[in-house]
Amino acid sequence: MKTLFYILTVIALSVSCQKVIDVDLNETNPKIVIEANYTAEDSTVRLRLSLTTSYFEPISTSSLNGATVTITDANGVVTPLTGIGSGDYILANYIPAFNTSYRMTVLHDGEIYNTTSKLSNIVTLKPITYEYSPGFFGLGEGYFCYQNYDDPIGVSNFYIAVISKNGYERSKVTDFILGDDRLTDGNSVSRPLFIDSLFVIGDTIDIELRSIDEKIFKYYSEIQTIAGAGQATAAPSNPIAIWDNGALGYFSAYGNSRETVVIL
Amino acid sequence: MRFILVFSLLFFSFCSHAQKYTVSGTMKDATNGEDMFGAVIKVKELDNVGTTTNAYGFYSLTLDSGEYTFIYRSTGFQTQEIKINLVNDIRKDIELMLPKDVLQIEEMKVSAEKENDNITSSGMNVTKFDPKSIETIPVLFGEKDIMKTLQLTPGVKTAGEGNSGFFVRGGGADQNLILLDEAPVYNASHLLGFFSVFNSDAIKDVSLYKSGIPAEYGGRASSVVDVKMRDGNNKKFGASGGLGLISSRLTLEAPIVKDKGSFIISGRRSYADLFLKLSRKDDLKDVQLFFYDLNAKANYRISKKDRIFLSGYFGRDKFQLGEDFGFSWGNATGTLRWNHLINDKFFSNTTVIRSTFDYEFSIGNGDDAFGIRSSIKDWNVKQDFTYYLNNNNTLKFGVNAIHHTFKPGALTGNNESFNEIVLQSRYALELGAYIQNEMKIGTRFNVMYGLRYSGFNYMGDGTDYQFDTDGNEIGSKNYNAWESIKYYQGLEPRFSASYIISEKNSIKASYNRNYQYLHQLSNSTSSNPTDNWVPSSSNVKPQIADQVALGYYQNLKKNVYQISGEVYYKALANQIDYRNGAELILNDQVEGELVYGTGRAYGFEFLLEKKKGKFTGWLSYTLSRSLRTFADINDGKEFSARQDRIHDISIVMMYRINKALVLSGTWVYYTGDAITFPSGKYEVNGTFIPYYTERNGYRMPDYHRMDLGLTWYMKDRKKFEHNLNISIYNLYARENAYTITFEEDPDDPTKTQAVQTTLFKLIPSITYNFKLK
Repeated sequence: MKTLFYILTVIALSVSCQKVIDVDLNETNPKIVIEANYTAEDSTVRLRLSLTTSYFEPISTSSLNGATVTITDANGVVTPLTGIGSGDYILANYIPAFNTSYRMTVLHDGEIYNTTSKLSNIVTLKPITYEYSPGFFGLGEGYFCYQNYDDPIGVSNFYIAVISKNGYERSKVTDFILGDDRLTDGNSVSRPLFIDSLFVIGDTIDIELRSIDEKIFKYYSEIQTIAGAGQATAAPSNPIAIWDNGALGYFSAYGNSRETVVIL
Repeated sequence: MRFILVFSLLFFSFCSHAQKYTVSGTMKDATNGEDMFGAVIKVKELDNVGTTTNAYGFYSLTLDSGEYTFIYRSTGFQTQEIKINLVNDIRKDIELMLPKDVLQIEEMKVSAEKENDNITSSGMNVTKFDPKSIETIPVLFGEKDIMKTLQLTPGVKTAGEGNSGFFVRGGGADQNLILLDEAPVYNASHLLGFFSVFNSDAIKDVSLYKSGIPAEYGGRASSVVDVKMRDGNNKKFGASGGLGLISSRLTLEAPIVKDKGSFIISGRRSYADLFLKLSRKDDLKDVQLFFYDLNAKANYRISKKDRIFLSGYFGRDKFQLGEDFGFSWGNATGTLRWNHLINDKFFSNTTVIRSTFDYEFSIGNGDDAFGIRSSIKDWNVKQDFTYYLNNNNTLKFGVNAIHHTFKPGALTGNNESFNEIVLQSRYALELGAYIQNEMKIGTRFNVMYGLRYSGFNYMGDGTDYQFDTDGNEIGSKNYNAWESIKYYQGLEPRFSASYIISEKNSIKASYNRNYQYLHQLSNSTSSNPTDNWVPSSSNVKPQIADQVALGYYQNLKKNVYQISGEVYYKALANQIDYRNGAELILNDQVEGELVYGTGRAYGFEFLLEKKKGKFTGWLSYTLSRSLRTFADINDGKEFSARQDRIHDISIVMMYRINKALVLSGTWVYYTGDAITFPSGKYEVNGTFIPYYTERNGYRMPDYHRMDLGLTWYMKDRKKFEHNLNISIYNLYARENAYTITFEEDPDDPTKTQAVQTTLFKLIPSITYNFKLK
């Protein structure tokens, strides 16, 4: 719906023009950014520590090593992650317990940062279907793919669909296709997926459906708006805080399901 | 209680001894029989004695018996003077003639004596325009728009490039009460705000009240824009219209019975989408994008004392992409009025109004189709009285009740993936009662004081939710139909006073308090039809505005130049903003997404106006601030509202070269909008994310633009007149920033850049207008 307004505006104003400009932005003290994922699929916890940088500078390479990072399961068992340099910390072979919460703790430079994420039950994808379309606005003729799954009834579910076309994974946060079951609870869902163009015969499409927790769904929705994937808001602001103590970033524990189709 | 006491004292304090008689009647335009609103009646022999016509052209003046010269006057018409020997009550209906030709306008204007009503009128200045007086002002795509002309006056700021929405004295765009023949218009714009819903051909005049708002108006916090539709020619058949780049218009009007009743029908349809047909892109050819307006009005004089009016507006925007996607929205209003003259001093008007706004999406076709629908519908009854007590006191009082039905959203269809979802309807009853007196004290002092009571009953049936401070639901309760969920009420004092220092200058002061019980939710920069209106409820408190204003008015060179300066301070309570990532559409618990704060606005406005001569126009300058404080935003620190434009200048010039040609130009300049820019960035999943530190801590680049227009009044024929208007929007092609976005450099993904989008660079347009006389 949001992109609609963008389209409307563009049509109404086919006379607009764009240019890159210089903007004088304030400098602020760097803030800590913690990006953490626990992927049930490979039983691995990955975490990266970095700092914010000035907007027009290249992203900071001053990675933060030497932090103490731990993950705690629902039974209170604490397991440390190992620093491997470049601000990265890792823990492999960490067996997932679905429908439980995990706590992540980072101790860096005397400050402690905490958050939790719930590892939701996996919703399994059904085979991908596709359908020919003679052309949809802005897209030439081709095929829509449909992701199909049965949404569990009576619980709130939140999803990210990550599409790969011919082996190229669209893993950027702005390419994530977010979904919830606010309007589709308990249904057999068939949702059309398309990227900047429709698919053509011979394309191999992989879909990864991640089952995420509500906090992360909100976080990614806001991140997408902020990153410009959505409509310009009157007053942009930082996304909801996932970490305490003022750290940016997120921690997502998730499981997933994959399907592949070749369009014939 | 104290108010009642003060009122009674004021009303019983005047006593009269001499025999008094009343002159009353209506004032009309002689060419078409249209009622004149705000026309002036003065008595030559008496200082500071006079009145103005009400919205239906009615006036009443009560004086001691004697012989007087009455002066009947309205801007743009020939003044009439009539000697009357007042020895009994008399009825005097007046029709004012238009000047014979344009040259006579100049002579007449220069010679007209005492055109200083701006100095002597009570109350703060009302900004008033009729479409005729602004027809030469250049506008975007040549589409005459009275809302855009209002934006060129002090204290009124545009909602953005080419936009018909506006902010008055630091208030929000939803704080303007926009009335079309007394019916509130909920979404006054077409095509995302680029055109207003007001078709100039159907409009008689527009009055803007930005301070000292009369007690008869209520329901919005910042201003009142009162748009009156034309009544239609009651002398003879008339047709007029125009052809423009964006739209065409046609108006038909005729008497029902000559001098007794008339009707007018005016239609406008845009055809912007026809340009898309020429597009090289195939997929644009299936696009439909247009709007239309239909205004219709009829009036009939049943008896000497009774007159009825029926008016309606229907407008719709439609956007269709092939068969798969449709989006349409529109307003409809209907007003039925009955004027009744109880006696020659006592005027009554009874009104029944229907006002609706809705939008609708339809997506997909066949088995998979589904749609989203939302609407707001009002029934509104009003009873207003004007009592012309004597020549020093004009009393207005009345009552008003509005029943609102909000349907915030429904998703329906047969698509298996989606559950049908119908958000519960919300109901409310908005009540108002007011009394106001316009009073003259001596020859130099005019006051207007009034009080409005407003009440708002938020009612079932429905579920009312309670939220914690983070916006999470903590409880809910069900209510039956008509059961009160929450009742709000307030007293709204309205006061204005003017002191006439001399014939050439005066000072005026005002105070008003306004309650606003409906709120428009919008968190985008453009004006979207999906910006839903929500009622005050157990969570959402009514917005309250208090404003004080002080002004000085001076006329120079025989009233050829008018200068005014006004200062104001406005305090706003219970203002609304949104939580991060708020979901405003199809959300039954939308109230949990809102946060509440306060605001203040203050400023200085200057206006220099030249009203007569070959060269007319005005210069307007506003120095102002508009600030907000929310506990949940910007760490609780005060920040600039988007419309906090510190400097705002508009220059409007119209030059009559000769009988046939009028050259006009405007120049506007304002400080860039307050906006939030990132102060840093970080990475999430390989994407750069801007990092924000403060709300609206930056400024867009300053905005300025010049427009030029040339109107050619082609050779006049007896039965036919026509003109051609050529205009250029943004003459020197200034690249004003519409948006500034921060994004990855497409050529080098390791870098980020700021990109400015400019909408309109040098847009020429041409419009042809005709009129059968």
